Amino acid sequence: MQPFVLSRPKTLAEAAELASARPQDSALRAGGIDLIDRMKEGLEAPARLVELRWLGEADREVMRALGPEGDGVQVGALVTLAQLAAHEGFGEAHAALREAAGSAATPTIRNAATLGGNLLQRPRCWYFRHADLVCLKGGSACLAVSGENKFHAILGGGPSFIVHPSTLACALTALDARVEIRGASPRTLPLAELFVTPKQDAKREHALQPGEVLVRAILPKPGPEQRSGYAAVKEKQSHDWPLAEAAVKMSLQSGVMTDVRVALGHVAPIPWRSREAEAVLEGKPPSEALFAAAAKAALAEAKPLRDNAYKIPLAQGLLREVLHRVAGVPLPE
Amino acid sequence: MPDDQRVTLKVGFAEQLRDIEVQLPAGEPKPWDARSELKVVGKPHPRVEAPLKVSGAAKYTHDIVPPNALWAAVLRSPHPCAVVESIDVAPAQSQPGVSAVLALVKPGERVIFAGQDIAAVAAKTPEQAEAALRAIAVGYKTEPFVVDTAAAMQDGAPLVHRGKVTERSTEGDEPGAGGSAGQRGNVRTSPSMKKGDAKKGLRMAKVSHEATYTTQVHTHSALETHSIVVQWDGPKQATVWCSTQGIFSVRDEFAEVFELKPADVHVHTDFLGGGFGAKFGASAPGSRMGFIAGELARKAGAPVRLLLDRKEEHLCTGNRPDSRQHVKIGASADGKLTAIHVVAHGSAGIGTGAGVGRNAFGIYSRCPNVLVESHDVFTHAGPGTAMRAPGHPQGAFALELAIDELAKKLKIDPLDLRLSHDEHPVRRHQFELGRKQFGWDAGRKQAAALRDKQARVRRGFGVAASIWGDFGRGKAVVATVSVLRDGSVEVKNGLQDIGGGITTVVAQVVAEVLQRPVEAVRVRLGDSELGPSVGSGGSVTTASVTPAVRAAAEGVKTQLTALAAKQLGRKPEEVTWSEGQARAGSKSIAWAELCKKIEGEAVVATGTRPETYGAYPVKFMGGNSYQIAGVQFAEVRVDTWTGVVGVERVLAVHDCGKVMNPLTARSQVQGGVILGTSYALTEQRVMDRVRGVMLNPNLETYKIAGARDVPREIDVVFTPVDTGANNTGAIGIGEPSTIPTAAAIACAVHDALGVAVRDLPLTPDRVLAALGAVPTRGGG
Repeated sequence: MQPFVLSRPKTLAEAAELASARPQDSALRAGGIDLIDRMKEGLEAPARLVELRWLGEADREVMRALGPEGDGVQVGALVTLAQLAAHEGFGEAHAALREAAGSAATPTIRNAATLGGNLLQRPRCWYFRHADLVCLKGGSACLAVSGENKFHAILGGGPSFIVHPSTLACALTALDARVEIRGASPRTLPLAELFVTPKQDAKREHALQPGEVLVRAILPKPGPEQRSGYAAVKEKQSHDWPLAEAAVKMSLQSGVMTDVRVALGHVAPIPWRSREAEAVLEGKPPSEALFAAAAKAALAEAKPLRDNAYKIPLAQGLLREVLHRVAGVPLPE
Repeated sequence: MPDDQRVTLKVGFAEQLRDIEVQLPAGEPKPWDARSELKVVGKPHPRVEAPLKVSGAAKYTHDIVPPNALWAAVLRSPHPCAVVESIDVAPAQSQPGVSAVLALVKPGERVIFAGQDIAAVAAKTPEQAEAALRAIAVGYKTEPFVVDTAAAMQDGAPLVHRGKVTERSTEGDEPGAGGSAGQRGNVRTSPSMKKGDAKKGLRMAKVSHEATYTTQVHTHSALETHSIVVQWDGPKQATVWCSTQGIFSVRDEFAEVFELKPADVHVHTDFLGGGFGAKFGASAPGSRMGFIAGELARKAGAPVRLLLDRKEEHLCTGNRPDSRQHVKIGASADGKLTAIHVVAHGSAGIGTGAGVGRNAFGIYSRCPNVLVESHDVFTHAGPGTAMRAPGHPQGAFALELAIDELAKKLKIDPLDLRLSHDEHPVRRHQFELGRKQFGWDAGRKQAAALRDKQARVRRGFGVAASIWGDFGRGKAVVATVSVLRDGSVEVKNGLQDIGGGITTVVAQVVAEVLQRPVEAVRVRLGDSELGPSVGSGGSVTTASVTPAVRAAAEGVKTQLTALAAKQLGRKPEEVTWSEGQARAGSKSIAWAELCKKIEGEAVVATGTRPETYGAYPVKFMGGNSYQIAGVQFAEVRVDTWTGVVGVERVLAVHDCGKVMNPLTARSQVQGGVILGTSYALTEQRVMDRVRGVMLNPNLETYKIAGARDVPREIDVVFTPVDTGANNTGAIGIGEPSTIPTAAAIACAVHDALGVAVRDLPLTPDRVLAALGAVPTRGGG
């Protein structure tokens, strides 16, 4: 790792100014989990890190908020995964977020990693992370196409085949979250609009401009009898990146599922909302057969590479499990 | 000294004990046998060095910082195969903080794996050293390469070596392994193991099975990476701190490289954070670390620390080679094996040693016809080296799973099939014991019921065996035991404690002989000036060292007995010892009082260990050492929707001769089981076949089992055996304990699914593929 200057501004405005003065040479630092990794691996060598954890009271309040906001719930960008995983205010309606936060990384990392950092981290693709190789993110070709692509995208891929690494994004997609951005043009946008598909721009994964800061996520007022859940399948059960994730939200009233959201993670370059699965489930009573059909629909458009076709049955099996659990339909033995 | 003596020893295991006569060399204490009643040895005792380790006070090589020490960094080839056209290290010399630079290749030289040494620098800080490497200009002309084992075997594949290959062997290799029977292209044939006529046996078979099994490259990944610190004490004298499992191998290599007398190289390894076979010699298998650190220190005129990072550790410090084993196995209609034929290819990268061990050859010895043919396949990847039971886990996986697949065709319980072909009485005893304790018969029925109704979550039960030899070395160790006038006891030997607990066991042996508390024995190890010793490889440490320690302790006791006799006015033969007191008739003298009478500072004796003199009841591969037996049972849970395999239970039933310390021995077996589980489920070096580089040189995507991945329960049962091998009865356990784990888990997965997953590791993609759930490419 190369030497750098550490700035600790007291206001967001000051932080934004520092970070945008020399955008190629500066980085915002929250938990620092992914950023320091990239610096240690020699992938980046920013001359200045701008700390977000030392902000003054006013800004810190927004960025560390965790609790009710109107009829919904707000989660500040500096809230840690550990805090999310332990938050009792979520209840069944927002259980997916709590479960996702508790499933990611390790206890040590969860104590430092933040919501903002988790959403904005860079891909874990081993070509992107290899100091001796240049992939599409910095060059002209996605090396996974001709290379070892067991962990890559089966949906929405091309020209880049990364999978989006954020576990929280998968849960927040199912929960219809919005995110608030501060900077030159402050705005609140649906989470889906934060992410950039590789067809839009293969070099980046999110839409923030230099100097813009994601300050919080907002979950809307839960629907009646809303429930949600999240799960991941990993090769290794202690600290591993998922092979696939599924998050589901629904209202279950009078034996019928409504307002259903289905999101898959680690299958596509962005958090993947499956409107196909939602359409199968919406307005229907839950059942094992319906869940199997929804899972099939969710992966119907999958286009696997050489080594990742297994993700199709795996993601289907995982989605079925989560649907069973959230809807309270016992899993077959 | 008395002449050679014949003694009667009670040997054997469980209820099967008998007397044998053994010829002992002069001066050798009578071995502890089944009649011996020991008070300290064989009892659980926590590690004596544990407080130092858990408090951080223990100093590992990474912690050694001599005054004015510099940091070394090594520039490594990014290319799997290239000719160096030019190299200019001069620009690095003028970088801030840099004291010495070193080119490690010359123009015209060919580098043959990504990670190979190119150049090195020594600087004041690690950041300065790293920055200086970037100033070094190297021109490469890249050449064709091959990193995939199957591709390297093809005609016309790029050749890795352009001449005859020399074998590098270490104390980590299994004695008797290695050698060559010819080379063609990238394929080098090892001598085959042959009994009877396997081809004829296969023709005679009424039921047969044939399949190809593959295993992955497994890196050692010791928590402490390879590290060496060199300080020149004069033009021809050096002090070396090294994370090594063979202190004397470091001394000798360093002396040879720099043309020094071995006695002028002083090597320290006070503590060692794991080795698993990759830490012999001053260098790593794929990096000239001893030369680099020594030469930089000489050029800079200051001590140099060379501590590899995790990436380097994966690339150039050795690995367990992969394997591709074609197994043919046949039986008569009533389940008598007629032949086993294994054709194995494996790649140790640019190195040798990809054979698959003795499992297929040595365990199911009632099979009359066996042929095992192993081949090394060279690829442009970092060299393999001995890794905990070299060859065996791979060999066990293929053979044991093939036996299960054959048993299924024969409709015979796979445990019964094993029992009817294994002649080792201890292993048969272990199979029977495990069958009961593990609940094998009920478990297999449960698994079959879940399989029959196509349950989503299955259970499976598997079993596999290990074979290893008692390779305890004679005439290699000289131990010294001293008793001082203040009554303190000290034992010294130039041995390293790799983590198995030998420090504690050595203290126990001395405590047993001298009837002192274990805590009262000061153990000094980890220093080449403390007397000759063995490397910790081949599961030899306890068997080689404890007999010498005991002989030295007995020597001191003889002198103390004479001293007591003088004090008590009796003859030495009238003196007896109990509870640390010397007694003769009605008179006695306490330890402290007796020690005060020592003339001079101390009573000192050295001890050595003769060659192994007993191997009861079964010899290993026709040699003169005992065949160590072990079996492991595994229960798995398999989720057929996601393909995830979890290991619920492992029962490890092992024999390590006389168990010296059940606590540390159990810990070692648990470590073997965990390593084997990790190998079975997740660990795998991934090479990019197009670009020839390793894609996961870290501990994030190179996946080592964590707390949630290890078996929920690991039960360890020892079946002690008195073999008559040496005077303490110790034999090895480090390697046997990891041999059958992955095989047992794979057999359990076969039981759960009804189909075998024939490739390690047993990851969800492979489980789903075996279940027929994975569409072909482009399907939906």
